[in-house]
Amino acid sequence: MVEMGVAIGAAIAISVCAISTAWAQSRIGAAGAGTIAENPELTGSVIILEAIPETMVILGFVIAAMILIL
Amino acid sequence: MLHRMNGILVIGPKREFHDIVDVLYHTGTLHLEDVTDRLSHETINLEKWESGYGDDITASLVKIGGLIRTLPAIKTLWEHQRKIYENLYWMDHGNLVERVNQVVHTLESRTRDLAAKKSDLQFRIASLIRYEKTIRKIQPLEEQLPLMKGFEVTVLLIQKEFEDVIALIEDELVNITNNQFELISAEIDEYTLATITVFSKRYSDAVHSFIFSKNVNEVRLPPEYVGRPFNEVLVLIDEQIRQATAEMESVNTQLASLSDEWYPELSVLEKVLLDKNKEIEAFGHFGYTDHTCMFMGWVPEKYLTATREALEGKFGDRVVVTELSLSREDYNQAPTFYENSRLVKPFEFFMQLVRPPKYLEVDPSPVLAIFFPFFFGLMVGDIGYGLVILGFALFMKRRFSDLDWLRSLMNIMIICSIPTIFFGFLYGEFFGDLGEMMGWIHPVHLMGITWNRMEAMLPMLIIAVAVGVVHVFLGLGLGIMNAITMRSIKHAAEKAGMIFAISGLILILGAAAGALPPVLLQSGFGALIMGVPLIIYGAGPMGLLEIMGTVGNILSYARLMAIGMASVILAVVANTLGDALGILLLGVVVAMLLHTLNIVLAMFSPSLHSIRLHVVECFSKFYEGGGKFYDPFKRQELTH
Repeated sequence: MVEMGVAIGAAIAISVCAISTAWAQSRIGAAGAGTIAENPELTGSVIILEAIPETMVILGFVIAAMILIL
Repeated sequence: MLHRMNGILVIGPKREFHDIVDVLYHTGTLHLEDVTDRLSHETINLEKWESGYGDDITASLVKIGGLIRTLPAIKTLWEHQRKIYENLYWMDHGNLVERVNQVVHTLESRTRDLAAKKSDLQFRIASLIRYEKTIRKIQPLEEQLPLMKGFEVTVLLIQKEFEDVIALIEDELVNITNNQFELISAEIDEYTLATITVFSKRYSDAVHSFIFSKNVNEVRLPPEYVGRPFNEVLVLIDEQIRQATAEMESVNTQLASLSDEWYPELSVLEKVLLDKNKEIEAFGHFGYTDHTCMFMGWVPEKYLTATREALEGKFGDRVVVTELSLSREDYNQAPTFYENSRLVKPFEFFMQLVRPPKYLEVDPSPVLAIFFPFFFGLMVGDIGYGLVILGFALFMKRRFSDLDWLRSLMNIMIICSIPTIFFGFLYGEFFGDLGEMMGWIHPVHLMGITWNRMEAMLPMLIIAVAVGVVHVFLGLGLGIMNAITMRSIKHAAEKAGMIFAISGLILILGAAAGALPPVLLQSGFGALIMGVPLIIYGAGPMGLLEIMGTVGNILSYARLMAIGMASVILAVVANTLGDALGILLLGVVVAMLLHTLNIVLAMFSPSLHSIRLHVVECFSKFYEGGGKFYDPFKRQELTH
């Protein structure tokens, strides 16, 4: 039962973060595509902005890994 | 590193103004500043130099540009272009404009007529093709047409994106004709639909008026087709298309022959005029008094002697070059001129993603050059992948040697492949666990850890965060250097306070978790207590919130472990799947496909995250940017 709880906890940690990241990236991606269409010089900045929300899923992954390992 | 710049003021006799401009232009080392802005009117009453040639050059550029756009482009030998360029460039202004007028006079009416004819023919051919397609669509109705006496056939052309309008037309025709009509739609090409309607002539006016009100294209066949059988019309159209195509070929041949004769000179004329235009634009930076002219700007230290010698060689002591003694604020306006070693230079490519550094700022490109390959290697860490990336980068660099951006990118990949191979050796990875399965390589046992990434997750996480601490502290340290250079005590205090506070937090957490000796708990509190007042002094009470931001920045380095883990798991999946398939050839193909995908991802994702760690996590601690690149006043090189 405890093992199952640990697994579900880890799954929630990564999945909620992944969904949040995906949502944030979809919004940034849409805005970024518009930005690049208007000003291609900002491509580099848009790519970096697109990568920013990935921190969430990476921290989610770390938390999930810690739940499973520790 | 940024190269040292010298601010100089060049003063010479006004009568030799154009010669001095020529020498400066050909020396090509001076980044111009507006001398009338920089020298106050109280010091000297300087007038801005106005060039009277600007309008002539702009008008010539428009005319030549128009001719070039009309003629088909042809490739010209670079040596030939160079010869024409040198000949045209050294003409004086009057002769150059006269030459432009001669060329325009010779070509303008001929090219205009040919271009108009070509455009008419293109339109005609397109219309004929459309008639042909439409007639082919309505041809099956031809037999019924005699039976449809008293009925009218109308063809409407509707763009596919507006095909909803067909339903609207159909609804309205039901009302207008009391449902006595037929409507058939068929595709003419990928963008257009033809809608054929047959209705009683009684409703003709009402139907046409409705179609007109909806702005729909109605096909009206030319008079010569009306009343003829469709087969005959199709033959006629074919004949007319053939004629128009032959005429078009003749026009193209004439344009090509004009292009052979004139295009090289026209294209070079455009370059020369653009160059002259740039030179004239720079005139606004120059100033003059009754008897002298003045030029001000920045010269990199290594070019200073050459600039001085060029002017002295030509004018002797009639022209004086003075090195200006400038304030810190003035130097902050100096342009940025990178001078990095061959190893750092490729990483200047990534610096294009952010605004260039200000002259007095620390240049971040060496930080990128050290940490980018390190992060990349730490994440990808596979001998096989490193070798593939190295081979791919060498091939691409050789294959596309004329693309500067690709060459820079491939140089970065070549540098990154070395730490990738090194970390691959450390992790014991050769195409994932293939090397270990085959007994070729094993993870290194070092510092009490077997560096197998699949198993040593926690140590890898700790290492990633520790790297983050070092990187962020480096950023804060550089921030202190920048603050000291700019004599901003508050900024320096804030950065130093942040180092103390974060160090304190690490010591407290480490000691509380038992990872560090308990005695360090007090040191941690001491550091935190020292850091907080410094942060409040530097950034105010709200600056304390930045501590959490910095902690977040450091934890963000966990991605070094996480992305690496994802990469190795995909590699292991490739091997396991290949093995599980049971058929050797199929297994090898599947494994190769998955490894290829992983390598492509490995080149893209770790690069992106490595840049992000620099730009967001580290550079935010010290880098302001907002400088301008060194852009000397010089003739543009004629490119191949």
